[in-house]
Amino acid sequence: MGSKMSPVGWAITLIVVLIIVILALISVYFINRIIVLSNRIDNAWAQIDVQLKKRADLVPNLVETVKGYMKHEQKAIEMVTKARERMMSAGGVEEKIKAGRELTAALKTIFALAENYPNLKANENFKLLQEQLEGIESKIAYARQFYNDSTLSYNNMISTIPGRWFAGTMHRVQRPYFEITEEERAPVRVSF
Amino acid sequence: MEKISFFDQIAKNKRNSIFLSIFIIALVVTLVYTIAYLLLPEFAIFFLIFAAVLMVAHAYTSYNYGDKIVLKATGAKPADPIEHVYLINTVEGLSIAAGIPPPKVYVVEDDEINAFACGKDPKHASIAVTTGALKNLNRTELEGVVGHEISHIANYDIRFMTLVAVLVGLVAILSYMLLRSYRVTHKGEKGKAGLLIFAGFLLAIFAPIVSRLVQAMISRRREFSADASSAQLTRYPEGLASALEKILKINRGKMQVSESISHLFISDPNRSPLDELFATHPPLEKRIKVLRAM
Repeated sequence: MGSKMSPVGWAITLIVVLIIVILALISVYFINRIIVLSNRIDNAWAQIDVQLKKRADLVPNLVETVKGYMKHEQKAIEMVTKARERMMSAGGVEEKIKAGRELTAALKTIFALAENYPNLKANENFKLLQEQLEGIESKIAYARQFYNDSTLSYNNMISTIPGRWFAGTMHRVQRPYFEITEEERAPVRVSF
Repeated sequence: MEKISFFDQIAKNKRNSIFLSIFIIALVVTLVYTIAYLLLPEFAIFFLIFAAVLMVAHAYTSYNYGDKIVLKATGAKPADPIEHVYLINTVEGLSIAAGIPPPKVYVVEDDEINAFACGKDPKHASIAVTTGALKNLNRTELEGVVGHEISHIANYDIRFMTLVAVLVGLVAILSYMLLRSYRVTHKGEKGKAGLLIFAGFLLAIFAPIVSRLVQAMISRRREFSADASSAQLTRYPEGLASALEKILKINRGKMQVSESISHLFISDPNRSPLDELFATHPPLEKRIKVLRAM
């Protein structure tokens, strides 16, 4: 028979076990949290991607509608078509963002020019398309905001204690924010 | 007024509402215990079980079908994909910003500016906006109002408020049972038991009043919280502030809506001259002031 443990020995064992359990629970919480926050950023990008694709799908309709009215704006229409093609063939995130910006600018030009064509502006189909495209534009902006919010909470998590200790062992690094370019902030200038 | 960041405001509101809901649950537990103490010697325990089953059934129904009942009660109709394309786009955009699936969009035929959200969780949620709101609000104002409702969904307020409503109903029923149970128990008991009976009597009278007060308090805090989250989503507190100002000016508080669902709306649909203590919404002037201080 082994010797009986003293009450003090029991107490110490219990405390040690308790501390280990608590530490394990804390670790599980933070590791999961870091993974969840990181996945949220990926999901946020997927949201942007969906909207970019939806917009690209609407562009041929717009071109079709606009063509008949804006006979003298071939250049602007071509710009939109080309930007869309680049958008469709873009592979990586960076490329898609760049093509998306071009398409945004090209569409802005089209809608600015449409102001000069009262018949076009009265076209029901055009009005609906314009509302849809503007809706998508604001959805892209919101999706980008969600992306940056998600990135902020992730970056905060892995750069503050104790998150940074776990992030170090998990080889997680800070993720970049979605930058808004100067051209996007500036209002459109139409010059042909 | 000092500047509070909306992140702080959200955290503070969350803490307070947890505290308040614990209070209501404690009240329910105390009531059940007192009834059990008074009735246990008899068969009354079976009545208690029967009542509990009924309450669970009630809670289950309001949890799962509450949104359909509310939508029907207000006469909300699904938004038209062409006529209301703008509203649908706004709702979808803000739900993306909040990171929740797009809720179903409804329109209520009414001249007052109002809106509400319902459903059990973000996956089963609906937003309804009055035609008055669509007519009177500009783009940023509508975004502020929709952002407020999206926040109610994203913060699980819609589920929480249903839960609170059910708990308040529970307290009312239990208090009634407690009062009735005095007829069953032995009369004229002295000492410790007598004291408890007296305490229970006071509890039965004051519990429903207190729980109503707490419900109103939670609801008011949630309104501030949703205002703060809306500002966070739209990044433009002035939009909602100016929408609330229009509500203050245009609304007469005469929508035909039951009192039991009035706490779901962005602004109290039937403004009554009733005591401010029981109001489910904070005064609009105060909400506007808080938004403008962000």
